[in-house]
Amino acid sequence: MDFLTNLHDAVTGWIFETLLQPALYEAGLMDFADEIFTWLDFALFGALSMIVVYIVCRPLEAWRPVEPVTDRRAIRTDILYTALSRLGLLPLLAFVLLSSLQAWWEATVADSGFVPPTLETFVPSLREMPILAFALYVVILDFGEYWRHRLQHTFGWWWALHSIHHAQRQMTFWTDDRNHILDEVIASLWFGAIALLIGVPPGQFPILVMIMRLAESLSHANVRLSFGRIGERLIVSPRFHRLHHGVLSTADHGKNYAVLLPVWDWIFGTADFRRDVFPRTGDPDAPEALATGGWLRQQAVGLKRMAGAIFGRTA
Amino acid sequence: MRRLAALLLLPLLLQARPAAADLVYVLNSGDASVSILDGFTRQEIRRFPMLREPHHLVLSPDGRDLLIADSGGNEIFFVDPNTGETRRRERISNPYHLAYSPDGRYLVVASLRRNQVDIYDARGPQLVARLRTPDKPSHIAFNPDSRTAFVTLQGTGMVAAISLETHQMLWEAPVGREPAGIAWHRGKLIVGVMGTDSFAVLNPETQQVERTIPIGRGAHQVFVAPDGRSIWLTSRVQSRLAELDPSTLEVRRVIELPGGPDDIAFDPDGRLWTTLRWAGRIARFDPRSGEVELVRVGRSPHGVFVQPRRGEQ
Repeated sequence: MDFLTNLHDAVTGWIFETLLQPALYEAGLMDFADEIFTWLDFALFGALSMIVVYIVCRPLEAWRPVEPVTDRRAIRTDILYTALSRLGLLPLLAFVLLSSLQAWWEATVADSGFVPPTLETFVPSLREMPILAFALYVVILDFGEYWRHRLQHTFGWWWALHSIHHAQRQMTFWTDDRNHILDEVIASLWFGAIALLIGVPPGQFPILVMIMRLAESLSHANVRLSFGRIGERLIVSPRFHRLHHGVLSTADHGKNYAVLLPVWDWIFGTADFRRDVFPRTGDPDAPEALATGGWLRQQAVGLKRMAGAIFGRTA
Repeated sequence: MRRLAALLLLPLLLQARPAAADLVYVLNSGDASVSILDGFTRQEIRRFPMLREPHHLVLSPDGRDLLIADSGGNEIFFVDPNTGETRRRERISNPYHLAYSPDGRYLVVASLRRNQVDIYDARGPQLVARLRTPDKPSHIAFNPDSRTAFVTLQGTGMVAAISLETHQMLWEAPVGREPAGIAWHRGKLIVGVMGTDSFAVLNPETQQVERTIPIGRGAHQVFVAPDGRSIWLTSRVQSRLAELDPSTLEVRRVIELPGGPDDIAFDPDGRLWTTLRWAGRIARFDPRSGEVELVRVGRSPHGVFVQPRRGEQ
């Protein structure tokens, strides 16, 4: 463990002091040094998580694929989505663009006399149990994700954006991060609203975060795999989530919305636990560009479709 | 015989150490924890969790409490500096840097991310006034009569003066790009101008920068030694520690210290404990011998404090 910690310190210290900090200094952005140092961790961790996900998921997909790979170009687009998301490039851009807005918003909240709480404010004993506290944050945020996901399928304008994620007919473990950039911004605001209620979860549990990301990537993998009668009810499996991506499960007649914990589908009556069903994926109503277009094209078509949904025109 | 006696005494001499060594508190801003080091062995003896992001700390005027500000967690921890035990916590809006006025009456808290400076009655702390400031209020200093607080504004390149009598902003003066650390010294303010390689010497009477002191890129923090015989500066980009003559403000020496030196605390022997932000280390520097020793702590260490606890066995 000491070796890993020292290696981490040495690598991030070298990158930051040699490459990033001098660039920040020259650009007159030294007051973002803390944030960029944190981002460096995020980016390195993202790269590591991509490697781990690849090492775990790729052999599984080779072992028992649900369907043969016929469209490698569509997969390459998903890899670009993953890189932009997990290396933190889009979050970094959003942070730079939104930081002033965030300062204004937080100051307004502070002026109201409201000091945002943390989960530990409500349950003080959690202070002494940081791992349990983090697990609770995961459960609450996952509950929030379930409802965000359901609403993505409920509102026409939101579905227009989210259908990019569902249009992929060649679903693989790379598909997890295939989302419209505006959809990502809304997701951040959603997360921010929950964070205002219960606080932002501590970010000191990289291994747990890596496990969560692995689970989410695995759930999209092209692998004929279910977790068994009990396991299917504990954590979202490739079988469980593929049914959500099935061609008959798009828009507002979907099933299996859970991101990590299937218990929410169980409670709210949207679960489908049939363990032998591995449907074809994709959205038959989506334009071809959303399935096979490049990143930029998909972003543009997504926006256009959203505008059409809002103003009552079909794109 | 003397040799034999020396040989017999050697194990005892090797074990000799203070009955109660200084405690060194290091705030690990990147992994939300506080490391407590034994000042004698330089071993980490304990690490306790914060909530989100501790950056700065200050000792209460009566020496009873060490206030550790967790900016991301919206809390100040009141810790017994002799034991490291948390006595209580107070909900405070985004406390980044904090300092007591010299008369001990006010606790002033700068909120880097919310563009506000809060003035608290130190006895509570009870919020007395909240001042909306320009972008990124960063570090705080006072004049000795406790009438005025001075705050660097990282986002606008200014230093703001705030009256502790009327709780109003008095003036703003430009000092250079991204000012950070600030200290009062003999009627002047010494300001680390982080976007440059220099410290600015600001005259609060005229609100003019009278001179600049080049140290190295990323000029950052400034601390006057407790005995008043030296002033110590850090630069975070060029990774330097520099000593100034307090009378002339001339540079006496510059020490290369890789890792991004930031805050400094002084132990009773005059040694400096400096956090190295990007290396996950704290450096102990002995000004007499020039010796530097590194000790591993947590991620992105920032604030540091030494609690003297001497008494040889």
